[in-house]
Amino acid sequence: MKIIAFVNNKGGVGKTTCSKLMAEFLSKKKKLRTLCIDFDPQCNFSHQYLHMEIDPAAPEGLMPPIHPDYNPNDEEDQNWDGRSSIAEIFYGQGVIPYPTYVECLDIAPGHAEKLLTAESVRRSEVVDKVHKQLAFFLNSSDVQAAYDAIVIDTAPSKGPLTISVIKAATHIIIPSVMEEQPVQGIYGMLQLWMQESLTREKSRPLQLIGILPNMFKQTRLHKDILKSLQDSPAIGKYVLPVKFSQRIVFAEVDAADSNPRSIFDFPEQHVAKAEAEEVCSHLSERIFA
Amino acid sequence: MSKKKRFGISEALTRGLSETIHVVEHHSGLFRNVVLPLSRIELDPDNPRKLAIDLIDVKQGIRPDDPKHQYKQEELERLKELAHTIQSNGVINPVVVYKRGELYRVVAGERRCLAAILAGKQEIDARIFNEKPKGFELKLIQWTENTAREDLTLDERLGNVREIIREYQNQKGPVEVNASLLKEIIGLSLSQASYYLAVLNAPEDVQFQIQNGNIRNLDKAALIAGIESPEVRKQAIIACMNGSTIKELRSMINQQKMLKKVKVTLHTSSRGRNTTKINMGATDNIVVIKTIIDCVLTHMQLDHPSTNIFSQTNWKDLRQVTRAFRKLIELLELEVVV
Repeated sequence: MKIIAFVNNKGGVGKTTCSKLMAEFLSKKKKLRTLCIDFDPQCNFSHQYLHMEIDPAAPEGLMPPIHPDYNPNDEEDQNWDGRSSIAEIFYGQGVIPYPTYVECLDIAPGHAEKLLTAESVRRSEVVDKVHKQLAFFLNSSDVQAAYDAIVIDTAPSKGPLTISVIKAATHIIIPSVMEEQPVQGIYGMLQLWMQESLTREKSRPLQLIGILPNMFKQTRLHKDILKSLQDSPAIGKYVLPVKFSQRIVFAEVDAADSNPRSIFDFPEQHVAKAEAEEVCSHLSERIFA
Repeated sequence: MSKKKRFGISEALTRGLSETIHVVEHHSGLFRNVVLPLSRIELDPDNPRKLAIDLIDVKQGIRPDDPKHQYKQEELERLKELAHTIQSNGVINPVVVYKRGELYRVVAGERRCLAAILAGKQEIDARIFNEKPKGFELKLIQWTENTAREDLTLDERLGNVREIIREYQNQKGPVEVNASLLKEIIGLSLSQASYYLAVLNAPEDVQFQIQNGNIRNLDKAALIAGIESPEVRKQAIIACMNGSTIKELRSMINQQKMLKKVKVTLHTSSRGRNTTKINMGATDNIVVIKTIIDCVLTHMQLDHPSTNIFSQTNWKDLRQVTRAFRKLIELLELEVVV
């Protein structure tokens, strides 16, 4: 089972878009049993597949809808409120993934308040209560047996939630816009990659697939910054040879009533679809090599 | 029209990114830094540092009928001081361990482990080697770890060096370890290395006083070890134990030498001032000097950066040959300090 995470502590660089494309490519095109995990308290990734509801306890936050398998009359569900998010791993509860409209694609959605609470535990407790929990969950035999691939969308931070993703992942990809500030975010992620690499056993390394240029425009700014990364002897080999261009259609399919719902359902010759397939198949070849 | 603006990432960021990548590429997999439960740690019985106190003493208290009770009690008191700083500041440097079955054996950091237990800690920061370090490397790690410490006795340090030489010979075959080779192995200065060799080969009376902790200073020990006359040596040992400085010792030894020489010179007829040094003579035959230098270099297997001077010497220039010859004498004086 491969655990793929898209990370960058700068917001708005396309982590959610990349996660979505990758998850749909693996499930629709590669027919791999795939689980999406939304580890961002903003819950944008979850919203792509579920009708997230407003949490009455925290008006700004979203929470998952009632699970389709929930039956209040069933004995077994007596102690369950019918909602399940990935944040349950921090509260000793089971996580029940939701099915999506794609056949072999499930999602463990986020829960704004619960994720934020987990992130704010005291520093001395953070190692036990947060850092290890996701790896613990994903290494359980149930999860290992049920899925071939896990795709995790992360919060734009370097905090405990992101660290727990880094600790659980087998592969990380750093999407970045080719502009000054997002590129600085790459540095933060490389630091986490370094810290984690120095604590891992040789047999299970954390592989950095690379820096994925995203929302790329043929402007001097983007071209120059991409080139300066590629030209650096150390960084160059980690800059992926594929990239996502700035295309409004990537945002359009995110809209709730979009039809078709996925880039991969577009006509064969569609330029955005061709690009998505090129990038995702490159990533998937590297990961499943 | 103005020139087009060029963009790029800052030098500082490029450097930061490159350095981070470099660290991962070169260090992941060699060892890992973790937090280890102290209950999974065991001490290395072969560590050159001879702490009498062990894990059981620290965990359960020293048994009153223990033959080393008094000694262990003193060690415990010293550990408590360390435990006190660990309680407030934690362990600053991680201890070094390798996995051995279910437990982790300490390569370096025995005192830190024991003190952390005393401080009531459950875990300790550790660096885990993925494989057991080879004998020679293990000794080297323990050596480097130990030399940084001030509370190691001269005897313990000498034991360390002896072990390293032994391991080196185990691995490389029976080579003679001279000062410059020892310098290469443990990265000391040439003079320190030759002092260690001198003391390791010291006469028994000197060794005895080192073991008893009466001679604690390497430089003094090396100086005394070099005295040939047993009587003079005895005097020097006593002076050293009474707290003479190295300068005082040196002048004392020189005086003794002078006296001896005066006695000898009384019997030989000579004129002029006493001879205190050997005159090396002079020659205009370069081949003579070159032969001497070549012979010595081959014989001593000198492997010292300054031996470069010999390969760079212009053998037609008398001035340069003289300089080379003087350098050889200088090197030899360091090498055969014993």
